[in-house]
Amino acid sequence: MIKIAIYGKGGIGKSTCASNLSAAFSKMGYKVMQIGCDPKADSTALLRRSERIPTVLDTIREKGDAYELSDIVYEGSCGVKCVEAGGPVPGLGCAGRGIIAALEALEKKGAYEKFSPDIVIYDVLGDVVCGGFSMPMRKGYADKVFVVCSGEKMSRYAAANICMAVENFKGRGYAALGGIILDRRNVANEDGSVKELAEDFNTSVTGYIDRSEDIAKCDELGEVVLNVFPESKAAEQFNVLAENILKEMNK
Amino acid sequence: MLRRLDEKPASVEISKAFYPAPFKAGLEYNPPARGVWNIVHTGMLIPQSHQIFACAQGCLRGVLLTAAEMNAMDRMSWIAVEEEDMFDGTMEQDIIDGTADILKKLPCRPRSVLLFISCIQLFAGCDFEMILNELKAQFPDIDFTDCYMTPTMRKTISPDAKMRMQLYDALRPLPLNKRSVNIIGCDRPLDEDTELLKIIRSNGFTLRDLTLCRTYDEYLEMAESAVNITCMPAAKLSGERLSDRFGAKHLYLPISFDVKTIEENYKLLCDTLDIDIPDLSKDISAAESAMKTAAEKLSGRVIAIDFTAAARPFELAKVLCGYGFKVKYIFADSISEEDKPSFEWLKENFPNIRICSVTGSAMLFTSADESECSKIVAIGQKAAFYCRTDHFVNTVANGGLYGIAGVKKLAELISDAAETPKDRRKVIQHKGIGCPSCL
Repeated sequence: MIKIAIYGKGGIGKSTCASNLSAAFSKMGYKVMQIGCDPKADSTALLRRSERIPTVLDTIREKGDAYELSDIVYEGSCGVKCVEAGGPVPGLGCAGRGIIAALEALEKKGAYEKFSPDIVIYDVLGDVVCGGFSMPMRKGYADKVFVVCSGEKMSRYAAANICMAVENFKGRGYAALGGIILDRRNVANEDGSVKELAEDFNTSVTGYIDRSEDIAKCDELGEVVLNVFPESKAAEQFNVLAENILKEMNK
Repeated sequence: MLRRLDEKPASVEISKAFYPAPFKAGLEYNPPARGVWNIVHTGMLIPQSHQIFACAQGCLRGVLLTAAEMNAMDRMSWIAVEEEDMFDGTMEQDIIDGTADILKKLPCRPRSVLLFISCIQLFAGCDFEMILNELKAQFPDIDFTDCYMTPTMRKTISPDAKMRMQLYDALRPLPLNKRSVNIIGCDRPLDEDTELLKIIRSNGFTLRDLTLCRTYDEYLEMAESAVNITCMPAAKLSGERLSDRFGAKHLYLPISFDVKTIEENYKLLCDTLDIDIPDLSKDISAAESAMKTAAEKLSGRVIAIDFTAAARPFELAKVLCGYGFKVKYIFADSISEEDKPSFEWLKENFPNIRICSVTGSAMLFTSADESECSKIVAIGQKAAFYCRTDHFVNTVANGGLYGIAGVKKLAELISDAAETPKDRRKVIQHKGIGCPSCL
């Protein structure tokens, strides 16, 4: 089973990347599960035509332990299995603890055994702010972390923060850094600055996604580019990214 | 105030009670009957072990007092967690550094460390596995076992069952010895005169039991047993897990006072060990006779049983009713799956038995009439407390009684309890029955 975690600054395009990657892997013939680790619970929206699915934490709140996997795992487009961890409303509770509880619940209910995905993608919110958000990087979860960033300074700063966290956890057997995914914003020296960031952390840029009207349109439609514009440049870039990730995982 | 807030009944006739929980949860009261073991008592069973608790100071209170009362403060240490540990990111490292500091300063190096984390570390998402791996690397001569004092976070098995599982975590695989048998998960040794021990030993098997181990090496030798026997419901998982780990066979031979169940247990044991089943007819006859004699002696008196005394209090009630005892009260807040058949049988055949809550706050204001107290013989400390009777069998978790010998001995204990009053206050306040006490 290939397990990757996608991190990056809030709003940088993690969920867009994650969803399109899920679709790309699925079209290659892999069974894919995408797990959104964000209280906003919007990671899999593009695989569900923007339809929100019940989150793991909401389900636990409502049903206690008496819930089935069918209550929390939903099929999205291209047959991707979609899960949203969920979390508390903004300003209340602890989202990090919620992520821990949600991931443990999936394990306890045997989600990985039942669905036997070939590829699991953890789409993790904005930044590694506390122990809970590092959970997808831990032993037993993702094997590699891919960080989405653009050439914008704050995006690179956040990416560096995440890469440092991965570096700090090296001795613990946690996920290794798989690479940087450059989600272009067309700022000056974007490729160069992100390449430099990657080199600082002994990694490389795994793939490039150009700013694209097609991606924006699909966002509005609640769809992945690979479904709506399969011949587009954006779709091609996601396919190349998917192949590169597979190569990285096979190293 | 309590009376106004909590209107829930403290007891219910068994005919009207529902399985598995006859009472709704609410405000709780903990009676001062302290014989039941806690995680500290259980952990101290491992010879040459040391317990380290990493928790807030307020959480230490109970475990520290336990160790102090049982004169075992030299076997316990702690790492205090404070508010800043929550946000300065050092919680994991503090446990590692604190444990290392404790171990370096101990006058004697323990062979085993039971490292307890508390709710706050689980809440904060501490990586306990990483902590243990780090400590094992620093102290390769010490076996570290992960233990949990996490009442707010325990979602699956009970703390008692979890602790009994962890007790055997330090065992490492050895070549299995088909002539070696373990008894797993008991607090105290089973009585020497029980047939279970006699059958095993007289057929040339080595019997191993943590409660009998005097050294850590003896404890480690338990790994070679090809058969693991558990007899307490809370120990079942520990027997299953240990057997799975080592490829041994697990036998669950539940403690029971029902002769048929006891005979079934011994048949299973003997079939597994490939030995002849002994003829127990004389022992059965003697035990049944003792029970009937005790029942006659108690004529005019009634019995109260509580769930801490017997693993299957409803089964015990059924057995005693069968011998002619008048069981009037069963103190329990739930009925286990194992005990369900007896509960249903009692509902049908003795519908007037009252099930009383052990933890319901209304119990503070409900008790037997003074005139009735003198007629009650209780089996269990909590039953004795609530029934305000000095005539009680002072036992917790079946008290080492097992098999036909256990039936006979229980009959004798009941007779003795009926005749000889005890100093109830002094006896039931002893923390951890069978453990030393400084009081």
